[in-house]
Amino acid sequence: MAGVRLEGIYKKYPGTDKASVTDVNLDIKDKEFLVLVGPSGCGKSTTLRMIAGLEEISEGKLFIGDRLVNDVAPKDRDIAMVFQSYALYPHMNVYQNMAFGLKLRKFKKADIDKRVREAAKILDIEHLLDRKPKALSGGQRQRVALGRAIVREPQVFLMDEPLSNLDAKLRGQMRAEISKLTKRLETTTIYVTHDQIEAMTMGDRIVVMKDGFIQQTASPEELYNHPVNIFVAGFIGAPSMNFISGSLAEQGGALRFKASGVDVVVPEGKAAVLRSKGYIGKEVILGIRPEDLHEEPVFLEASPQTIVNANVEVAENLGHEMYLYLNGIGTDTVIARVDGRSGVRDGVSVKLALDMNKVHLFDKATELNIFET
Amino acid sequence: MSTTDWLKPLQHILNCPVHAVSKSMAEWSDLVSNTAAMRQGDQKFSSPIEGERIEKDGRTWIVIASTEYAVDLLEIESSSLQTTEKELISWTLQLNRGTLAEKKRAALPETERNALKLGDWIQKQLESDEPAYSLPDHLTVGSRLFNEMIPFLLVTEQSGTKQATYTELEKLLRSFMSDDVLLIPLKSQEWLIWGSVSLLKDEDSDAFDEQEEETLEDSLASIGLGLHEMLASEWIGECHLAVAHPTSPAKGMVETTILLRETINLGRKFHVGTNIHLPWMLQLERLLNSIPEAQRSKYLEQSLKRADLFVESEMLSTLDTFFTLDCNVSETAKKLYIHRNTLLYRLDKLKQETGLDVRQFRDAVLVKIILLLYKVTKRN
Repeated sequence: MAGVRLEGIYKKYPGTDKASVTDVNLDIKDKEFLVLVGPSGCGKSTTLRMIAGLEEISEGKLFIGDRLVNDVAPKDRDIAMVFQSYALYPHMNVYQNMAFGLKLRKFKKADIDKRVREAAKILDIEHLLDRKPKALSGGQRQRVALGRAIVREPQVFLMDEPLSNLDAKLRGQMRAEISKLTKRLETTTIYVTHDQIEAMTMGDRIVVMKDGFIQQTASPEELYNHPVNIFVAGFIGAPSMNFISGSLAEQGGALRFKASGVDVVVPEGKAAVLRSKGYIGKEVILGIRPEDLHEEPVFLEASPQTIVNANVEVAENLGHEMYLYLNGIGTDTVIARVDGRSGVRDGVSVKLALDMNKVHLFDKATELNIFET
Repeated sequence: MSTTDWLKPLQHILNCPVHAVSKSMAEWSDLVSNTAAMRQGDQKFSSPIEGERIEKDGRTWIVIASTEYAVDLLEIESSSLQTTEKELISWTLQLNRGTLAEKKRAALPETERNALKLGDWIQKQLESDEPAYSLPDHLTVGSRLFNEMIPFLLVTEQSGTKQATYTELEKLLRSFMSDDVLLIPLKSQEWLIWGSVSLLKDEDSDAFDEQEEETLEDSLASIGLGLHEMLASEWIGECHLAVAHPTSPAKGMVETTILLRETINLGRKFHVGTNIHLPWMLQLERLLNSIPEAQRSKYLEQSLKRADLFVESEMLSTLDTFFTLDCNVSETAKKLYIHRNTLLYRLDKLKQETGLDVRQFRDAVLVKIILLLYKVTKRN
């Protein structure tokens, strides 16, 4: 097994001025499960394809282990790939599909057989070894594609949205299986997805990308609790973080955040940082996650200085929890996640307290998180 | 005879220092650009040709031989060398070139020699005003080429040291497809592959009756996808592949090559990011490509009230997916991971801004055409 190191990687396509991937630096540790996540066109797949050797690197260095592999062909990089559009070899049965890469590498028949059967057992496809791909379901085909990668026992697995062709239920199941599998095989894995739930549940670390630039690289917890900018804050978490545009003002010895329908006290710890960075009197954007808006009486009593009034446009009851779509807090719709038993209905007015210890404040011009920079 | 064998006698005849030097392609390119005015012959920079001559600061370099990565040169240090003497050396080396090429070819295995002959013949027909469409008898290699086979055209884009050899690719294809494979090198990095029709036959098709009957095109597309996946991961990396209906190589060699080349060109032009190109999926693209550029631009200008809408990548990917999924709103929303209402909002926005409602057949056709035209004219 081996780590992967990207040093100042760029991808520029001929005839375009703008780079598709700009100055990507990553040090992926041996056995780590790293997820590249971002909206479509953010450069995550291009980055993975450069690691795979399917795209040439315009600038920078790529190491697998200690070996510089910029000019090494994909087959010689000791990697195995599973892509969204994975194609099984239609004229070969499952066994032959899994064995083909090993056969090319001149493995002994007995070794091939052992590896294929072991992988088939892990993936629970032993009973399908004689079948041709078109006799398999989507989930079974996906397992064969994974099996083809596993038998190689590569230094690194590269996966590009491998679950996106599966239905939601199967996707959830395979998500857990891939996580278990890579832990068991102890293979470094780089996984591309646009789905932040996959990213949060599978990755040891997550790289959030936008417009070809890395926005933040951190553990799932770190990304969720300490996003460095508005993009990361809005991208990670579902429903997304709420953003309220307002200003900061000193009043009665306390620092207050004021916006349309909002006048709340900023806790002293955060206020001190804002004062020291010169944000008093300036416009900022307050970010608050849906679960940090509370309607429980206990919280309202404990936080009288952070209460806001809002109208419930829609209350979506999911059983265990409820999403309230609110207006009256800032200018845009704000979503609150409350207890499913709260009994709030469409059209009513509610009082909610903001958990100001959990809020983030972003610089309006740079969109950076004031507390993380 | 090696270079060292004739270097000394040449030095003696010319009565000046003569060296054999080797330069990388980059160094050769620098030398050519710095001495462009002095270069013999009328070409701009291209691959060095045996006998080609460059002069600078009293030194003369003459190409002895070249590969894709380096060029071997004769370096003569004398400004007093007569033009006739230089031309004589060039002429001798040019003569040597033909002999060398023949020797090189003669040293190749028979299969590769025959394939090269076939490749040369196809190339000649493609360049000719009146191409012959049937293979001449001496190239048919027995009866093998009269059987139906599946044609593929492979175009790779790798540079320098990553380029692969005929033997390597042929061996790989034999492992993948069975021994019945014919590989013909066309231009540099372009290969015509003929595979056995047995790839399409399914011996155990009875085992899964619930599966819908696969069409020939579906089977060819699957084979193409599988072959591309194998070539990308087990060989050289990214490549473009086109596949057409089975035909007899002896009769359809030229026509098939023309069709497959056109298919790859259309696919690369209209569907950037796609690597498998299927002629039966590019009918509309073929028609649109035949419209002159000026007329295409004029049509776009007239039919687009809001061109900027088609610049938005979100709108482009929404419409692409919508058309791929036969204008099915629910399936499109599912595929794009957006709520059905979000998709409807986007389509309504398009209708509001352009007057075209893609849920109506007539407007859908128009938008599809505009989208295809926009993709190619935008890049021009």
